[in-house]
Amino acid sequence: MDIASHDTDHDRMAAVARGDLSGMNEIYRNRHRPLFRFFYRLTNRQATAEDLVHEVFLRMIRYRHTYQAQVGQAQETDRDPPHAFEAWMYRIARNAMADHSRKHRNEIAPGEGELESIASARPTPFETAAKRQDLSLLHRALRELPEDRRELLILARFQGLSYERIGQILGCQAGTVKGRVFRAMKELGSIYSDLCREKAS
Amino acid sequence: MMCSHAKESMAAGWQREITADEESALRQHLETCPECSAEMAALGGLWDRLADLPAPEPSHALHARWQSTIESLAPSLKPVSRISPLRNWPANLFANFWPASPVWQAAIALGCLLIGLLIGTNLPRRNREIAQLHEEIASTREMVALSLLQQQSATERLRGVDYTGHLQTMEPQVVSALTDAVAHDPSVNVRLAAIDALSKASGKPGVLQSLTQSLPGEDSPMVQAALVDYLVEAHDRKALGALRQLAAQPDLNPAVLERTHFALQQLSR
Repeated sequence: MDIASHDTDHDRMAAVARGDLSGMNEIYRNRHRPLFRFFYRLTNRQATAEDLVHEVFLRMIRYRHTYQAQVGQAQETDRDPPHAFEAWMYRIARNAMADHSRKHRNEIAPGEGELESIASARPTPFETAAKRQDLSLLHRALRELPEDRRELLILARFQGLSYERIGQILGCQAGTVKGRVFRAMKELGSIYSDLCREKAS
Repeated sequence: MMCSHAKESMAAGWQREITADEESALRQHLETCPECSAEMAALGGLWDRLADLPAPEPSHALHARWQSTIESLAPSLKPVSRISPLRNWPANLFANFWPASPVWQAAIALGCLLIGLLIGTNLPRRNREIAQLHEEIASTREMVALSLLQQQSATERLRGVDYTGHLQTMEPQVVSALTDAVAHDPSVNVRLAAIDALSKASGKPGVLQSLTQSLPGEDSPMVQAALVDYLVEAHDRKALGALRQLAAQPDLNPAVLERTHFALQQLSR
């Protein structure tokens, strides 16, 4: 997503916070897909991810009055208000995810079949069976990564957020995020190697 | 460069957030540190391969659900600015026709009033029929709303709640169905929409009491916040006990806790 759309979503949300709700549909159009992918990669469930996306947009409307105050805080430290919307949205998304995890902590993790079906979805003519198998293992490794490390890699690798932005969302410095991303990658590499060995034997 | 710093630089490099100086220092370090060099090769390749994982897509049902929610929660969301001039031609025509002079405006208003009186006095029987028809339409709408509120599908129940907004007066059975939805409906969206729909019925008997009773059993932070807001707006001091009970819940959402404290302050004044 380019800087211009960040700008407009920030403006739209600021207007929503002032009581003009007409920009909410446009924000939904711009943001529902990245949010869905964020939740899907965390939960591995289509229906749950869609429920959580819906919940995030409802919370945006419900807590719209908090937007200006939080943007004000971000401006004091960041001087980059257009990106404040993104950080605010992901904070809401993380809270929704945490509430969901608390409520469903006793549920069984999703089966492998769903992940396998994604890994093999729409293969291009250039994709070989070996590559698809490799992706499937990588997907499994990502799923087996503990949730906090998985969330970090999703934010950094798939959501296109800079380390500084992730730091704003998680409430830490960009340098700390870099260190954590390295450690998460190392852990992912270790799980992936184990899975490859398991498959080969 | 220390190994710990090199690891941060590697992560910065994967994300293309590395400066030229940092990159040069990292390269020098990798030439002398076989361990970091091996990690760079293995993890850098893995980072690149993560991009090949397919991107999942939301279903059309999500979009339909959002549209339904937005329409039921906030009818005013439809942006006025997006109405094309062509679609808005009746309003434009009227605006062009309407005179700027207040004298002419008063004359037209008086003329309309006289025509209305003339028609009204000459057609009393027809007026009675129209009044009867209005009553029948209101009664039918009420039945449709109540019937929709009983449906299994949450979307249908949302439509039912939305339908109650079209009723000129809210009859006790409609109010009762809405308070029942707030207390027992399994869908958060329906409960939220029902609270919004009850905003024009806060003076009706039993509404505040029923919503206050719903508060302790509610588990959705959004619905809790909406109920708290409702009770503050209605300035219902009888809700103080339920609000205190809510504030004492150990795992209460921080945003809801903040609003509950605010509500307690407002209602204690």
